Amino acid sequence: MSTSAIIFMAGSWTFVLGLTFWSFHRLLKDKEHFDPDGIGPKAPPKKGETEQ
Amino acid sequence: MASSDAGTSHEAWGSRIGLILAMAGNAVGLGNFLRFPRQAAANGGGSFMITYFIALILLGIPLMWIEWGIGRNGGRYRKGHIPGMFAAIWKHPAAKYVGAVGLVVPLVVMIYYTYIESWTAAFAWFSLTKDYWGITTQDGMVGYLQSFQAIAPEGAKIYHHTYTPYAFFVATLFVNIYVLSKGISAGIEKLAKIGMPILFLFAIILAGVVLFLPAQPGIGATPWQGLEFIYKPDYSRLGQPSVWLASAGQIFFTLSVGMCTLTAYASYLSKKDDITLNGLATAATNETAEVVLGGTIAIPAAVVFFGVSGAMAIAQSGSFNLGFATMPVVFQQLPFGNLLGVAWFGLLFFAGITSSVAMLTPITAFFREEFGFKRETVSWSLGVLCLVFGLMHVHWLQHGVLDEWDYWAGTFGLVVVAVLEVIVFMWIFTPAKAWESMHQGADIRIPAVFKFIMTYVTPIYLLFILGWWGWVDALPILLNEKSAGGGAFNPVNGPFITLSRAIIVLFFVVAVVLIKMAWTRNKYDDRKGFVEVDHSGEAA
Repeated sequence: MSTSAIIFMAGSWTFVLGLTFWSFHRLLKDKEHFDPDGIGPKAPPKKGETEQ
Repeated sequence: MASSDAGTSHEAWGSRIGLILAMAGNAVGLGNFLRFPRQAAANGGGSFMITYFIALILLGIPLMWIEWGIGRNGGRYRKGHIPGMFAAIWKHPAAKYVGAVGLVVPLVVMIYYTYIESWTAAFAWFSLTKDYWGITTQDGMVGYLQSFQAIAPEGAKIYHHTYTPYAFFVATLFVNIYVLSKGISAGIEKLAKIGMPILFLFAIILAGVVLFLPAQPGIGATPWQGLEFIYKPDYSRLGQPSVWLASAGQIFFTLSVGMCTLTAYASYLSKKDDITLNGLATAATNETAEVVLGGTIAIPAAVVFFGVSGAMAIAQSGSFNLGFATMPVVFQQLPFGNLLGVAWFGLLFFAGITSSVAMLTPITAFFREEFGFKRETVSWSLGVLCLVFGLMHVHWLQHGVLDEWDYWAGTFGLVVVAVLEVIVFMWIFTPAKAWESMHQGADIRIPAVFKFIMTYVTPIYLLFILGWWGWVDALPILLNEKSAGGGAFNPVNGPFITLSRAIIVLFFVVAVVLIKMAWTRNKYDDRKGFVEVDHSGEAA
């Protein structure tokens, strides 16, 4: 395989696998919702607001 | 809660992981393992991958969130179907009729998709019994496939009974309807919890086997050359609109957006349930199945046994030849090849059934919610309908009726639905309300840039695709200047094509009449909207 093809493949796989692992990590981690009552936030939450 | 006692009773997902698996199962389909590698190989490899990821970010993931948002918002009013979901957002008499397309498209696709799904069940059985063992050439396996489909040319060798494709279709449809009749939690969620792990297990086994295939005598190619075939950068093709359209189309089909199934599944969520993280996890799971596993099996295997130029020719000849002719030839050269064949076709079967079951969910919800029918009654009645029109595909496959339905419902129809969804949710509902609605109960914050993307970029992207396809494909196909399956129009197929189009139109007319009856029966006021119900089924 050429170097450029390896870079493309590695980049593609890293992106989709990274997104999958990150989203499932967040799913399975028992984090507090930033909107626990489900009535909707008054304003879109700021970055980091959902972190405990 | 899941009950079938009354048509109006509300169902719910049993667990969050079950919901994700069902949503991902709905998205992961035959296209992940057959269509994706072929499209990537035929559209410049690396160039395709660049445009593919751009389409994922600008089109796929935004549409995923929009569909989850429309669905859950509809669920607030116990509407699991697009006519009701649109009417809940757009308080105008036309909204419900515009949504009729959301009942017709998934029903039409389900009918022919189940037939294709039955091929995978049949070939899993043929692999287990080594029925095609000894047919070691690509052309020979194409003949075997045509024999099974009962479309072999006159004088060609026949391997199957006439009733074989009918039997597998009926059996596959029966399994679909049985799962559907069991409901959301006990049927669809259970199927996903069993089917998705098996699907991933089979895919990982096959990808592992393919990646370690040795070069074959006389061919000399390795599986890594197959991966190079997909990932080789070819920047010159980035300037070609066809590459951008092919990648946008692939993103569209692979995520099942426009099929109205994501919206139907999301309607069984409460407003306290997250949709932002769930939607992202669904898209990510589908992409892993497609990019990492789908790209690693069929094309690299074909390269090892047919060489790079041979694999290119096979990819150009179509997804079905790659899956149903090439792979069986490959399996015959490998130890435990029949079991690998079972794994391959079993993987396709589970990918198919978790999608096809979802396609009947919107229309099932419509009859249950609006007419109060029992789930079992609706499911088995739809089963009879699918059987009647599905047999038409089995019987007239050679006359292009499947290609016709696939084009108008499974290709053009999906984009039409998606355009309507974006307009209704982002423009009519307004971006601010849509954004707030998506963040109800959310676990993650969607980056603010996506509000702009969903409001402007995604709809313009979709309208461009619709316009381009309408001009280049839809119009010539409608005027019988070319065939929906590609190639020149065959006048012999004319009456069959006309009949197949007339049936789609008939479905649409019936859907409009049924919507009218439902609104009259339930005394809905188009201008006032629906009464919100809480998750237990009581009016809020």
